[in-house]
Amino acid sequence: MTKIKFYGLGGQGVVTAAKIFSEAVSLYEGKYAITVPAYGHERRGAPVNTSIIVDEEPVLLNSFVYDPDIVMVMDQNVIHKGVDIAEGIHEESILILNTEKKEMLSIYEKLGFKEIYYVDGTQIAMEKIGRGIPNSSMLGAIAGVGIVSINSIEKAIKEWFKGKAGDKNAEAARTTNKKLQKN
Amino acid sequence: MAYKMLDGNSAAVEAMKLAKVQVISAYPITPQSSISEKLADLVADGTIKAEYIRVESEHSALSVATTACLVGVRAATATASNGLALMHEVVGMTSGNRVPIVMPVVNRGIAAPWTLWCEHGDAMSERDMGWLQFYCQNVQEVLDMTLLAYKICEDYRVQLPSMVCLDGFFLSHSMQKIDVPTQASMDQFIGPYIPKNAFLDTSDPMFICDLTSPDEYTEMRYQQKKAMDNVFEVFEEYAKAYEVITGRKIQIMESYKTEDADTVLVALGSMCGTAKHVVNKMRAEGRKVGVIKIVTFRPFPFEAIREALKPFKVIGVFDRSAGLGGQGGPLWSEITAAMNGLNADIRHFVGGLGGRDVTETTIEKIFNELLDIQSGKSLNHTQWIDTKENAMTLREVTVKC
Repeated sequence: MTKIKFYGLGGQGVVTAAKIFSEAVSLYEGKYAITVPAYGHERRGAPVNTSIIVDEEPVLLNSFVYDPDIVMVMDQNVIHKGVDIAEGIHEESILILNTEKKEMLSIYEKLGFKEIYYVDGTQIAMEKIGRGIPNSSMLGAIAGVGIVSINSIEKAIKEWFKGKAGDKNAEAARTTNKKLQKN
Repeated sequence: MAYKMLDGNSAAVEAMKLAKVQVISAYPITPQSSISEKLADLVADGTIKAEYIRVESEHSALSVATTACLVGVRAATATASNGLALMHEVVGMTSGNRVPIVMPVVNRGIAAPWTLWCEHGDAMSERDMGWLQFYCQNVQEVLDMTLLAYKICEDYRVQLPSMVCLDGFFLSHSMQKIDVPTQASMDQFIGPYIPKNAFLDTSDPMFICDLTSPDEYTEMRYQQKKAMDNVFEVFEEYAKAYEVITGRKIQIMESYKTEDADTVLVALGSMCGTAKHVVNKMRAEGRKVGVIKIVTFRPFPFEAIREALKPFKVIGVFDRSAGLGGQGGPLWSEITAAMNGLNADIRHFVGGLGGRDVTETTIEKIFNELLDIQSGKSLNHTQWIDTKENAMTLREVTVKC
């Protein structure tokens, strides 16, 4: 069982990213994923998070994730908004961060993750989709840590967005996947 | 297997689509769920061939669905929390007129305090209104139970409406991998709606829901009671047929790893999944615990429950509703009544209110308390299991005289 948490800001497609990710692992890799989104008063720009549980067997657990194995941060500024993205992590937990700024990385380095992967998903989204919404691009990043293949992510993105938008979003994911770096 | 990733709301819609509902009425504003908008989309693109009627309140939503069904078609609506509360008057009309509507209820707390989130207090407020109530553990069960509910409710031995209860957010917004049966198989299983008691025939009009004198009222209620009594037999019959088609066994209640358990927890809804997960974890550590999941809360399967709980001396019951003013919550009261005369120590737990997550930690704490009572290490349990210590000072107001 792998427990995952996505963090971001309202409007960045955090919940959508979790849904696409769940489809990728469940429909194209034969595993079972459940998403448990934490809904609040919907507001653009407010911190949001969603929990995802992935397993080889149907998932019985139906609750939020409190001890994540993987944390993905779609907006580097969430930690400045009173959110503790390292809450509940253990010694094997890894972080995937949407940033390429050294000063941001140095803040996140102090949080105790075993490994940190990073990439500027927002910039890639701007280049490939024309909008700075990093959900699809960051799905390429999570495919870079072995929990899901980039092929399954691309298939799920194309199925979700359909047509040209699907192609562009899939390209954003592919590019992010290639550019992902380990700190 | 035709796997899809669906959230609970979409699974309810998928079932209504497979049942080919013909009239849909909904109040499309909070506290409505995405069920009504997904149904609207499917009617708009022709996938569901139904009349979609937007109404001005939940009171009207259920009035329209009930009367449409009385005209002679399969009708649908859905609701949640305060919407269900606003329906209350019509809830009795639907069951009393023996209208077999299947209605998804997205379980959310009732205001005040204002809440958007999960608990069973909304549906529990309607538990004695003559509707069947089914509580689902996961998204697959939302789909399966809704489909099965059409067969059970529309059977001439039952002819009663049902609420298919799905936990707000933990099921309604949780995407899960589920198997969806084919339209052809459900056409065969459910088939077209056939009115059996009251319906509109202009050549032979009938008058229904007229003033019923004390001379007949009791007997009309008694008919409803007898219909409730018939539910279990009808449930088993159609569950068997459904299992042949889908391979999935739908149960009135389920005993999970209880055979050699030292203690068990009885619960409803999505928390049963988490409880099973905790049972597996604790058993791996050598602690023998089990879960009894109640799917059918109305009618309450007291005989089956009594049989299943007979071997246990210490039993925990988890209510996801406060049961204010009662000795315990609604589930605890039912379990205690079912166990009348048996020497069991039945402990009552309240939690998961207004969206508070029922976590692995909460369930494990319950099991540990029950095991300590069972082994004589402790006499007490924590009734409000996940309440914070600052409860009585929270939002405290200083009165200035």
